Formats: sequence, C-alpha cells, structure tokens
Amino acid sequence: MTTIVLEARDLTYAYPGGVAALSNLDLAVAKGRRLAILGPNGAGKTTLLLHLNGTLRPTSGHVLLEGRQTGYGRAALSAWRRQVGLVLQDADDQLFAASVAEDVSFGPLNLGLDDATARIRVEDALAALDLTDLGERPTHMLSFGQKKRVALAGAVAMAPDILLLDEPTAGLDHLGTRHLLAVLERLNQGGTTLVFSTHDVDLAYAFADDVALFDNGRVLAQGPAPDILADSNLLAKAQLRAPFLLEMGLKTKSLGLLGANAPLPRRPQDMLALLDRIAAQMDSGTVRPG
Amino acid sequence: MSPVDRVAHLNRWRFRSLTEKTLLALGMLLLDITLPPFPVAIVVAVIMTLATLVGARAPVRVWLACAAGPTGFLLAGTLSLLLQIDAGGLSLAPDGLNAAARLAARSEAGLTCLLFLALTTPASDLIAGLRRLGLPAEITEITLLTYRFLFLLAETAAAMNNAQAARLGHIGMKRRLSSLGLLIANLLPRALDRARRLEVGLSARGWNGDMRVLSRRRVLSPTGLAAILLLEAGTAALGLLL
Repeated sequence: MTTIVLEARDLTYAYPGGVAALSNLDLAVAKGRRLAILGPNGAGKTTLLLHLNGTLRPTSGHVLLEGRQTGYGRAALSAWRRQVGLVLQDADDQLFAASVAEDVSFGPLNLGLDDATARIRVEDALAALDLTDLGERPTHMLSFGQKKRVALAGAVAMAPDILLLDEPTAGLDHLGTRHLLAVLERLNQGGTTLVFSTHDVDLAYAFADDVALFDNGRVLAQGPAPDILADSNLLAKAQLRAPFLLEMGLKTKSLGLLGANAPLPRRPQDMLALLDRIAAQMDSGTVRPG
Repeated sequence: MSPVDRVAHLNRWRFRSLTEKTLLALGMLLLDITLPPFPVAIVVAVIMTLATLVGARAPVRVWLACAAGPTGFLLAGTLSLLLQIDAGGLSLAPDGLNAAARLAARSEAGLTCLLFLALTTPASDLIAGLRRLGLPAEITEITLLTYRFLFLLAETAAAMNNAQAARLGHIGMKRRLSSLGLLIANLLPRALDRARRLEVGLSARGWNGDMRVLSRRRVLSPTGLAAILLLEAGTAALGLLL
C-alpha cells in the first residue's frame, strides 16, 4: 500500500492580474516514488511546484503534507520546506554565495545545524554531485551544467524527504542529463521522493514511476507511467506525443516479436537488448520475419 | 567575468590568509604615504610589483592593463605640476620637476599596493574580512549580492546587446541610441524579476533573513607574517635613516 506524502486538493490559483494558472487541480505524491509532472510549455507546471512547497498560496483548495493541511505561517513554512526541497529551473535564481561550497552550506545552516555537521553535509552533497573539485570556485565562474548541479547540491545538502525539481534536464547536454539522472536515481534509492516537471515524454517514460498528465492548469490523469503514456487520446489532449520507446515496444508486441504479457523496455539499452534477443531468435529460426 | 576577478580567483596566493595579504598591501601603502618617496616609494613599488607578478603569478598583461588607466590620470596630473601659468604666460614651475617626481613616485607605488590586493584577493574575501572586523551583516550581505548579480546583469545586458545588433539595431547613431534606451529600460524589469525569483529560490532553501554560509578561514602562516613584518620594518628603516 502506498502512502501519500504530499497532496494537492482542488487547487485553484490565478496570478495577480487574473490569469488563471491552476483550476481545480488534484495531485497525489506517493512516498518513495518518482512522479513526473508532464505537460506542454505554459501548462502551469512551475506554478504547481511553487504551490507544493508553499511559495504560492492557492486562491482556493489545499495542499496536504502527510495528510495534514499545511499552514502558511512562518514556522509552518519553515517546517514544510525542511521536508520538501525545491530546485528551480534556472540555477542562477538560487545561487547567490561567492563560492560553491559556501552556497551549498546555506541550506544546512538554515536548518539550524552546527558548523561541523553542516560542513559534513556540504562535503557529502558536493561528492554526490561530483563537485568536490569545484568547491572553491566562485558561482559565476561555472558552466550551465555545473550551475545546475550546484543548485541541486544545495537542495540535497538539506536532505529533504521530498525533492521538487522544475525541468531538471532542460538545457542539459546528453552527458549532463545522464549524470543528473544517475544522481537522482541514487537519491530515490536512498528514500527521497522525487517530483519533477518536464515536457519530455521520453524522459518521463524512462525515469518516472508515475506520471501526472498536465494541461491548462489541471491534471488530466495520474497513474503509472506506462499506462498513462500508452493512452494516445490523453496525450493528444495534453499536446504531447507517445514516447518513442513505448511506440516501438508496442509495435514489437503487435508484430508478435514480444509476448503479450512481457514487460515493455523502458530504457534505450533495454530496447537494444530486446532487439538482440529477437535477432538471435531469428537466426535460430524460432521467429520468422513477416 | 572580468579579468581582474578571474585573476583574483585563480592566482597562486588566492588561499593565503587575508590578514597576510592586507597587512602587506595596506602596510606598504601606509609607509609609501608617510615616508619620503625617495627611496621608500621606489622600494615599495619594486616589492609590491614583484609580490604581484612573481609571488602571486598574476599575468603581466592583466597587471599592465589595470595600471594603464590610473597611470594616464597620474601623468596628466603631474604635467600640471610641472607647468605654471602667470602674467608671463606658460612656463616651467620652479621646483616643479621635483614635486612632480615625488608625486608620481608616491602615486605609482600606492597603485602597486592596491593592484596587489585587487589581483590576489577576490572581492568576496575582502567583504568577508570586513564582516569579521565588525561591519554590520546587512551591509556585507547587500555588497555580496550586488557583487554576485553585477555579473548576471552584465551578462544579460551583453546578450540583449548582441540580440539588438543581430537585428540591425546598431546601424546609425539614431537607432543606436534608441536601442540603448530600450536595453536600459528592459534591464530594470528584468533585474526586478530576477530578484523576485531569487527570493523564491532562497526561501525554498529555508532562508529566514539571515544569510549565513560556511566560509573557509585561511590559516595564517607565521613565516609569511614574519616575512611581511620584516619587509615593512626594513622599508621603514630605509625611509627614516636615509
């Protein structure tokens, strides 16, 4: 049985000036899972994330943290953010200190940790993100990918239970993306619940356990990634396409190359392994190409 | 990223203690100002230039580029000491050469002291030092943020400038001026927007109005300190005895 740790109920929000951003939105974040908030640009994904850590206060509706309605007072917000970390899309929006190590130490010190403990947190976070050598580097002398990693390290050093990431891979090159996903995977295995927004269906299919399909300020559907992403009607409503690997996997099934109940490959390397298996079977004569 | 900032962060003496570096630079500056410029200013200039270029290995090119501006001002200033205007028109001032030489030597030596500090110590280190000396946190925090966002603002301005140039916004004086106006007008809302987003980013990290970070204290080296004091005592003795 999954536990819901963070929940949005009937959330409605309009930006000052009256532009509706969220309308009657429901979302549930299950403990220990990876949830992708998937939707096109301008659907309100960032606005939703800012609600989930209390930065924005809904016009109506509630956010529930571990089943309890959240407060917006100083102490409540501080406890909330202790539990729920947020990494913004533009790293420059959260890096401010003179050097990388100093910047990462900001969060742990705000938690009230003493200097020695904070220092250990900083060292661990820098090591986890492969930034140890850059600790003394000024934050304005970093590359784009390095800045993103430092921003993530700043959140990781606070050891939140739930980590919200706004478009974590946007603008990263292939290697940077792979590196980042590996770090997120380790965090998730260590028990951190991950919620990330993206418009990349392939990323959601490869990396997320669950997907919340998002469009026009509401969640169209939420469920396990393979189920949601196989529903072409839903995807079309959200102006998205099916993940390429999912389409390929379904095709291998419809061609009879993969058993009807066999799991579909979700990562490129799994798909390649499947093709190798099929090729081997063809050689041995078990399967004949139509 | 300005070359001065880059050198300040990457020079060989980056991690020497702030106390040593400021003691050397400001101590020498004090000697330069108070003692007779010949020989003290010369000695100070030689020591500080060697310290910057040989000790900290700051690139000569950057050093020269930094020194060029102030030296130009200095030359213009000394020129006016050399000459005088009276009823007879323009003529050489009596004792003008002496006064000009003393001023030039003293100012150039002072310049080498400040260049040493600027090229070996990042601004953020200096601000942290001022805070330890008791400057209120509010002032040091604002200074640090300004310093950090100066680069971001400059980057944004440069990007906007390029975008304007790419769309032929800089052809002709009139268009160039109107483009510049647009750029400045757009920079302000962008800066404000960025400030708001930074506030979101910082509050997500538990910011409660206090910007505390762990900064690494550099260890004060006793030999370094002794060497600096010895150099300064020697220079002072030279100035007082000669």
